[in-house]
Amino acid sequence: MAISRRKFLATTGGVALAAGLPSLPALAQDRSIRHFWWGNPDRDRRTFDVIEVFEKNHEGISVSGETIGWGDYWTKMATQTAGRNMADLVQMDYRFLFEYVRRGALQELDPFIGNGLDLSNFDKGPLSGGMVDGKLYALNIGSNSQVFVYNTKVFEDAGITTDVINWTWDDFANVCKTITEKTGGKIKGSDDCSVVLETCECWIRQNGRTFFGEEGDVIATPEDIAGYWQFWLDLRNAGALREKDKSLDANLPMSDVGVVSGDTAISNFWSNQIVGVQALMQDTVGAAMVPHKPDGEPGQFIKPSMFMSLSRDSKDPEAAIMYMNDWINDPEETKILGLERGIPANPEVRKALAPDFTPAEKVSVDYFNAIQDKVGPLPPPEPKGAGEVRDAFIRAGTDVVLGNAEPQQAAELFIDDAQAIIDRAR
Amino acid sequence: MKRLSARNASGYMFLTPWLLGFFLLAIGPILVSLYLSFTRYDMVGDPRWVGFDNYVYMFTRDRRFWKALEVTFHYVIFAVPLRLIMALGVAMLLDKGLKTIGLYRAIFYLPSLLGASIAIAILWRQLFAIDGVVNQVLAVFGIEGIGWITNPSTSIYTLVVLAIWQFGAPMLIFLAGLRGIPRDLYEAADIDGTSAFRKFYAITLPMLAPVIFFNLVLQIIEAFKVFSPAFIISNGTGGPADSMLVYTVYLFNEAFKFFRMGYASGLAWVLLVIIGTFTAIAFATSKYWVHYENERD
Amino acid sequence: MLYPLLWLVAASLKPENQIFGTLGLWPSDFQWSNYTKGWEALPVSFTVFYRNSAIVTILSVLGNLFSCSFAAYAFARLEFTGRRLFFGLMMMTLMIPYHVVLIPQYVMFLKLGWVDTYLPLVVPRFLASDGFFIFLMVQFFRQIPRELDEAAMIDGCSTFKIYWAVILPLSLPALATSAIFSMIWVWEDFLAPLIYLNDIKNYTVPLALRLFVDHEAESAFGQMFAMSVLSLVPVVIFFVAFQKLIVRGIATSGMK
Repeated sequence: MAISRRKFLATTGGVALAAGLPSLPALAQDRSIRHFWWGNPDRDRRTFDVIEVFEKNHEGISVSGETIGWGDYWTKMATQTAGRNMADLVQMDYRFLFEYVRRGALQELDPFIGNGLDLSNFDKGPLSGGMVDGKLYALNIGSNSQVFVYNTKVFEDAGITTDVINWTWDDFANVCKTITEKTGGKIKGSDDCSVVLETCECWIRQNGRTFFGEEGDVIATPEDIAGYWQFWLDLRNAGALREKDKSLDANLPMSDVGVVSGDTAISNFWSNQIVGVQALMQDTVGAAMVPHKPDGEPGQFIKPSMFMSLSRDSKDPEAAIMYMNDWINDPEETKILGLERGIPANPEVRKALAPDFTPAEKVSVDYFNAIQDKVGPLPPPEPKGAGEVRDAFIRAGTDVVLGNAEPQQAAELFIDDAQAIIDRAR
Repeated sequence: MKRLSARNASGYMFLTPWLLGFFLLAIGPILVSLYLSFTRYDMVGDPRWVGFDNYVYMFTRDRRFWKALEVTFHYVIFAVPLRLIMALGVAMLLDKGLKTIGLYRAIFYLPSLLGASIAIAILWRQLFAIDGVVNQVLAVFGIEGIGWITNPSTSIYTLVVLAIWQFGAPMLIFLAGLRGIPRDLYEAADIDGTSAFRKFYAITLPMLAPVIFFNLVLQIIEAFKVFSPAFIISNGTGGPADSMLVYTVYLFNEAFKFFRMGYASGLAWVLLVIIGTFTAIAFATSKYWVHYENERD
Repeated sequence: MLYPLLWLVAASLKPENQIFGTLGLWPSDFQWSNYTKGWEALPVSFTVFYRNSAIVTILSVLGNLFSCSFAAYAFARLEFTGRRLFFGLMMMTLMIPYHVVLIPQYVMFLKLGWVDTYLPLVVPRFLASDGFFIFLMVQFFRQIPRELDEAAMIDGCSTFKIYWAVILPLSLPALATSAIFSMIWVWEDFLAPLIYLNDIKNYTVPLALRLFVDHEAESAFGQMFAMSVLSLVPVVIFFVAFQKLIVRGIATSGMK
């Protein structure tokens, strides 16, 4: 008997102690919402500051800010979704948006437009990025586009004056060769983009197709993909690309990418990364478009870099929408947020921010303005399984880079694979 | 009869915390995962019963499943024995009884403290990069290195090296076991003039057998379940051409990246059967080489 | 052997743009600010994260030691119906990949209202959830000569008395090993805290370290390394303090 009592006390004592420890949500406020985002120290600070402003402006509503890094975010999100315990407001990525909408995890925003959510000052283009099947499910909180970041000093030293907004793939190849030559191979022209599906997508669109069709089938042809791989293969054979071993990873940490580590003069990024790239580099960065095809269609597109969505599990959608509305319209909040999550879609906000831009921020906003009329429409929504197709693309591209497969043959296999993945996901 | 119930009573009394934990917290989720393995479950909607579909697909059509198995076996075969030998070797050296030994123990354990953190991932990628330290050392011997992590035919070995480098946990357990061996056995052997080799075979190994057995079983289980190092070093992808796609990384991606929790649960149960088989074999053979002090059964 | 560790410490003292690409260990100028700034870099200070980690770790270690030694004693020394079955089930809990029980477990703790508290992290430890320690202690307990139990039994000791006065004192190396491992593993665990803790004020140190990492923006690597180095300090201290117990070598030889 003595034993079990002792044991009992040990257990319950620990439990009781533990139960009292975490700071439980304050009971003073009557309404509370949760906002969950993936972040970094800078973003977290800004967001908590915004929460403070919101709570000050809306007495009686408390906001619980929840944050974690990108990789862990989706694990936690999936777990909370499964437990039907999603935060009221969640940050969404274009890649995952459709997965979550189609599975019914997010709420439609249309009923709130003009009814709590003021979008009168919102650019129409960015808004459409958050639509699925004609309904708005996600509010763009920052726009984005593909970009080739280049090292302006290396360009200058090599005497390159090419117009990098309007350049063609031939121009690009020549620039790469010139740089490699002028630096004696010390700095290669560019990173090898063979495994980068986002850049390949631009190439396919320049051919007048998209990777996924409206119905979610793979409509890119093996020739599209093979042509893309062949382009990089030729450049690689000319010695103008980064070595193979460093070109097989489509998810390199920013610090390992060629232009940052000094291996290459050009690397591919998303435009909201320009500021971050600059912070890791001594030389000044420039922003170039993905090269064009003469007489081709526009390949690049402006995509939302991040969304805010209202979850299925929200218990107080009205308060959540208030928060969302302030996020895009309240001058005090938008000033705190700045460009950190991407370019805001509210022109008023952009105007108000302009005087305080850093040089790198100016590069990214100027780039954004310069490409406005050179981009195509947003591609159709990605079907279920798109993430897996991306992985398959990386695998196939790896085989080509390593010389284990010919572009044409690898492309045919990949297209078959991709369609099979999509079929299975249905 | 009375004795039996009295014995049961004290047995269960001591087992109570575990029994509570097992029946209240563990068995439920385990059975749910078994159930889910017979469903399609995307974690947002409700699971849908599909019978044996997941298992059939796994064994007949899923190339990556086989690839993951291959990578995992590869890892287990190299990592388990090498890590154990390393751990036992160092533990015996430390057991020799240097006075300043505390510091040494800490040094040998330090690498294991780093676990599979992000710092380790960055570090490992740098070490084994084409222009990394490993290749610089090899260059001294006139060997031209490659990008070890980015090359699909070598990347798995960088994980094996990591596993060996982090030998601290089994080492510490060996050390604890070695300290438990009565010193007088060795003293008696010394008086008889027994060779060091013979002492190792006749005293150390048999006396240490229960601890060796523990380490062996645990290392097998852990190696089959290895996740963090492969996940972190390959940035969650399983590495170039799936060369670091160990089983649980595949399982994790199926579950949390592609929303196939049902399928992932199926994968988990197959892994459980595999690990269970190896563990059962280890237990069955232990009769012949693991003897417990004065144990009757 | 130690190069990687030195690299880590060196990296924590380097300016951001020198961490990568340079293999030399010696920083050109020492950035002690990585430590001071890193400590306060997140919306909540590391002081809070350390406090949280300490709470979770201390409770968990105590829980593990008590509950696992109980179970191990039962498995190693007591005869009772179903012993082999339960031992097998216990081993099974060691083998199942954690990721697939994550969601059912989360749902269970959610229903209990335990999410965003430390209960899901601590309570299971008081209920011997970690079979590793049970198995470890079983292996050591079985090494202790049976005559000692029997002698004690004849003297009229209860099973608890034997556990407390005979088995535990003779198993100090095993208990110290378990304490060290459980301290280290709980301290470094990030998956369970990730899933169960929502409020950043409740975050533990490893979880806080994950806040530094962003996949596409600039990351404060120097500060992250500095905080990673600091996060090892308590573990090293604990290790150095407890490993003495392992080595002190119990006087088993005298007993025989």
